[in-house]
Amino acid sequence: MMDTPAQPNAKAQRTTVADPIVTEIVRNALVGITEEMKTNLMRTAYNMIIYEALDFTVGLFNAAGDTVSIGLGLPMFIRGMSETVKAKLRHFGVDGIEPGDVLLTNDAYTTGSHLNHMTFSVPIFADGELVGFSACMAHWQDIGGTLGGITTDIYAEGLQMPIVKMYRAGKLNEELFEIIRMNVRIPDRAIGDLRAQIAAVKTGERRFLELIQKYGKEAVLSAIEAIMDHSEALAREQVRAIPDGIYEAEAFMDDDGVEQGRHIPIKVRITVAGDEMTADLTQVSAQVRGFYNSGMTAGVSACQVAFKCLTAALDLPINDGCFRALKIVLPAGRVVSAVRPAAMRWWMTFPMTVVDSIFKALAPAVPARVIAGHHADLVIANVHGRHPRDQQLFLYLGGLIGGGWGAKLTEDGMNATIAINDGDTHNGPTEQAEAKFPILVERYALREDSGGAGKHRGGLGNEQVVRALSDIMVNTQIERVECRPWGLFGGLSAAGNQVVFQRNGEAPVVHATGKVFAQHLKPGDRYMLRSGGGGGFGSPLDRKLEDIESDVREGYVSIAAAREQYGAVIDPATMRARRTDSAALRARMRAAGLPRDVPFESLGGRVPDPQIGEVALDPIGTELKALMPRAFQLRCRCC
Amino acid sequence: MAIGQHAAPASGTRIAADVGGTFTDVAVFDERSGALRLGKTLTTPQHLVDGIESGVARADSVFSDAALFLHGTTVAINTMLERTGARTALVITAGFRDIYEIGRVNRPEAYNLYFRKHKPLVPRALRYEVHERVTAAGEVLKPLDEAELERLVPILRREGVEALAILFLHSYRNPAHELQAKRYFAEHCPDLFITVSHELSQEYREFERASTTAANAYVGPRVSHYLAEIDQHLERSGFPGTFLVVQSTGGLYDGDRARRECIRMLESGPAAGVIGTQALCAAIDLPSAIAFDMGGTTAKAGVIHHGRVLIAGTAMIGGYNEGLPIQIPMIDIQEVGTGGGSIARLAAGGALRVGPESAGAAPGPACYGLGGAEPTVTDANLLLGRLAADRFLGGDMGLDVSAAETALRDRVASPLGLDLYRAADGIVRIATASMSNVVRRVTTERGLDARDFAMVAYGGAGPLHAALVARELRIGKLIIPNAPGHFSAFGMLLADLRRDYVRTLFARLEDVAFDDIEMIFRAMEEEGTRSVHEAAANVSAVHLTRGADMRYVGQEHAVAVDIPREHFLNGDRAAIKKCFDEEHRVRYGFASETERAEIVSLRCSINGVMAKPQLSRIKVGGAQSSSSALRAKRPVYFTDHGFLETPAYDRAQLEANNRIDGPALIEEYASTTVVLPGDALTVDAYGNLIITVGNS
Repeated sequence: MMDTPAQPNAKAQRTTVADPIVTEIVRNALVGITEEMKTNLMRTAYNMIIYEALDFTVGLFNAAGDTVSIGLGLPMFIRGMSETVKAKLRHFGVDGIEPGDVLLTNDAYTTGSHLNHMTFSVPIFADGELVGFSACMAHWQDIGGTLGGITTDIYAEGLQMPIVKMYRAGKLNEELFEIIRMNVRIPDRAIGDLRAQIAAVKTGERRFLELIQKYGKEAVLSAIEAIMDHSEALAREQVRAIPDGIYEAEAFMDDDGVEQGRHIPIKVRITVAGDEMTADLTQVSAQVRGFYNSGMTAGVSACQVAFKCLTAALDLPINDGCFRALKIVLPAGRVVSAVRPAAMRWWMTFPMTVVDSIFKALAPAVPARVIAGHHADLVIANVHGRHPRDQQLFLYLGGLIGGGWGAKLTEDGMNATIAINDGDTHNGPTEQAEAKFPILVERYALREDSGGAGKHRGGLGNEQVVRALSDIMVNTQIERVECRPWGLFGGLSAAGNQVVFQRNGEAPVVHATGKVFAQHLKPGDRYMLRSGGGGGFGSPLDRKLEDIESDVREGYVSIAAAREQYGAVIDPATMRARRTDSAALRARMRAAGLPRDVPFESLGGRVPDPQIGEVALDPIGTELKALMPRAFQLRCRCC
Repeated sequence: MAIGQHAAPASGTRIAADVGGTFTDVAVFDERSGALRLGKTLTTPQHLVDGIESGVARADSVFSDAALFLHGTTVAINTMLERTGARTALVITAGFRDIYEIGRVNRPEAYNLYFRKHKPLVPRALRYEVHERVTAAGEVLKPLDEAELERLVPILRREGVEALAILFLHSYRNPAHELQAKRYFAEHCPDLFITVSHELSQEYREFERASTTAANAYVGPRVSHYLAEIDQHLERSGFPGTFLVVQSTGGLYDGDRARRECIRMLESGPAAGVIGTQALCAAIDLPSAIAFDMGGTTAKAGVIHHGRVLIAGTAMIGGYNEGLPIQIPMIDIQEVGTGGGSIARLAAGGALRVGPESAGAAPGPACYGLGGAEPTVTDANLLLGRLAADRFLGGDMGLDVSAAETALRDRVASPLGLDLYRAADGIVRIATASMSNVVRRVTTERGLDARDFAMVAYGGAGPLHAALVARELRIGKLIIPNAPGHFSAFGMLLADLRRDYVRTLFARLEDVAFDDIEMIFRAMEEEGTRSVHEAAANVSAVHLTRGADMRYVGQEHAVAVDIPREHFLNGDRAAIKKCFDEEHRVRYGFASETERAEIVSLRCSINGVMAKPQLSRIKVGGAQSSSSALRAKRPVYFTDHGFLETPAYDRAQLEANNRIDGPALIEEYASTTVVLPGDALTVDAYGNLIITVGNS
């Protein structure tokens, strides 16, 4: 049972009183160092997930493994590295770690996530004393294991690397190196990423030591404690402003991918007392058979991410002082605190809904700080096949298309923005994907009417249509198709995520689930990913008519939806709302309890979807066959 | 320009004007006498030409006597940042009109629920889709149907569109459709300002290219209007010479091209400062230097490495978090919101922060006495004795010491329980640390070691803080040029004409067909050479440099590598690979000789060399400065020393070879140089202050 006590007076071991000037200089430097580690990794990585998607996290930790500063990479990994450093410390003991060591693990139950997250750390020694760690997690594109389909335990998911020393006192362990090479599909890239990660942690080590050299060990370490104390004080001040009380919320995940349609409850209970908050996840579902489990570290991360968002979102660096005022109750064996051998491949999805649920729980207490539900999924298609150019295996991470975010008390939700699991994650340019992979992206666009209606409207989701130019296999593992992003205070639910396939030129079909595994597409076939919107905030009948007019003009909201959901009668000729008609309609709707919220999508199996048909099939479709052989021969005119 | 026929003599004057947000700086070089004349005046936002004219007058000069007018302006960037551009439409490949709004979907402020992503310059309702498609290989998959363009003509008219941006996917491989659409709209909507993407950027990344193209269209009409206004003014003034504008690369281009490719002038002022640094380095035989520019609200840094200015391929205008990307070559300048006006404030828990909030010009620092109640970096410098209350801006503006003291004591020193002067010193040290980080971003983060560089410091506040920043980064040599407050305008006088081309071409190095590459380079070089000759008559030579963006097969990010021309001519794959490995090693600390590499884009730049003014030498003296140079002594506070009795010198009275040991202050109009205890200053033959920074 993870029962992290809030630490009211986590006392400094350092006796030196921190100098406020040096403290601020060190604070700036720590943010600078983690930025530099990030830049370093990003620019040398070999795979798109690291470079374009920025799926990695770097950070500095104190000698006990507590977070001193972590990069803004991947919020849901906010705990993963610190817990991994601590596990390494426990494993080797302080005396078992020496300068020049490079420690590695991807143990899913330590990092709390999937096996792709190779996590490296180096100890930092000053005058023979262990003063901290520099660490880096990055998502390797392949770690062995299955390329698609269902997994129901960790053994099917790839290479498991226990806590090991990749380098011992500066000397490479060649055997480990060979074990990795033999277990991953594209070893050259994996080794390239490994090298980039080691360069990044070494950068952190070097720069931290420079700081100590300049200001002195005691001064820097005291400054770090003062920074943590400041962050703690800032967070407590914010918690104190939340009315004491017990706040609860419940949400659901679609299913675990094994038992389709059986909803999985996510129930959270938040207690606020004075300047402390407790997040109790005891009533979150038990771990599941499918691969949507995550470890204890991820459950704790979800609570800390929500806490950071609600207290001091822009206070940097992110350090463990920020979380001293938060107590977390989370027994082992829940879907976000799963134990071996739970399958973990899609670890990141469920915790996102935990975060949203915490916002939902606290909405009555602090309406100005929270946000309505968001699309809460990365909306990814994993595509692989043999490239017609050279018959080599290719892996294409499709999607990451972003989606809608929830509306707030004072403003609309953001359109087309990456889900809360990720932060500075980028989608990939279409022009790049088409040059590298045998695909044609036919559409990447906002989804009209996908934002939840409200006084403040939820953000819009997107859709991306991809056509296969050779035989490909497609897997989607998308959630929250049925359980739509919710609104707050009378705001409506948004459209959920969706997956659509179209084969042989026949009518496209929308799948009732977003978990569509091991689909073979032939040249000319297409798939479409749709991301959900964000929930609305406040009654849509209270939305200003001018805002609705602007939404209709911009094509964010259709004329029909303006009428049905907002009670606004738009004249198609002028695109203006008829004031009197709208007022009358709104009054009638109010009296009838309209508009009604529909929190669960019911797709009822495979239904034809007219919208994908709008993408002109011809003449692209008919010319495609003739083009395909040429497309790759002519890929580069100088070859 | 018609040499010898007009009143303007063969070598008349050249006038440079740098119009910034607050000040318009003018530098005039008189080729007959070798004299440099300066003018500084307040910028006149309503009618910028007035400010330029009065700046020129203050520099005792007239346009009718000038052979060259060189101009750097913030008009383009302000139009973007203030959102005052033209009503702009975007025409784009069907299925993709939202990519400009979707962007890269990232949330840099990962925990901020109120995060706002970039806001497009073109609303969704004015983004129109056209059916056409070109593949990544440049093949036409679906021809462009002019009937669809025809349908748009009345819509554009009805919507009152003034500028049009056109982007089709993969136009860097095959621009035919963009050209066709451009021709069509130019013919049918002759009043529109039209920009097509491949004319600005021939690199992949459709969002960044769309943003670049839209921004160019958006600022186009206003910039054109502005340039026309200047043209008219020059004509009325009887200007017989050539008018050139500074680009963000620091190179010059002619007014015609500037009107079409406005987006290239976004960062012209800061870029000119870096070019000035480069020219100064060349004159005093310095291979590498950091250009450090600090003003009232920001500090900026750029790099000269082995004589070359470091260039970046993309910049985010308006900041990384919510800015708009511009994908064209620009000098790699990093910026931080720390300047003289930065406010020192206590955050929760008693943490002391300096900036990014700035007191600006109004109310300004507390010591301006204009109502500013919060202490700033300038207030701290005043209390530490580094600024003289009665000699600010040459004595034009008196500073209020007691107001600075009250602000600093009440808001920082007392709450922290610090002595007033330790608090003031702390504020300057914190500002120094954050400015040092910005220098690290252009050096350490680029794989360069700041200790290998000298630092050239300018801008009003640069010389005041440069020695501290240099110590922080362990830079051994610091140079304060003449008239540091006018250095950007001065840099313009030393710029060359420049054209840049980048063309995406994905190819593995082992498969590269050098004949094809040669054709691409030749085409770019011929166009560039023609273009610089057209821009000005007095081009003495044309320098061509080639390079490529390269990466290891499988890597995503490419590195820009300079590659000697002969390697391409000889088809020398091994030599090209070696250049790339070397650059990769410098930038990222490792290289892999055995791994295959690929080319992502070809780059070349064409420099049309202009005759430059020679730096003039000042009067030669001895190690001892003349007695008239010493103004007074006053107590100045230094970290670890407390107050030391410190001499203040009048820079104008210093002579070459003078040597002054720190602590000392060197005062001039609009700037004060601080020489720290342990540092030593000498005056070089041109009047530059060369400071040897002691080990701290």
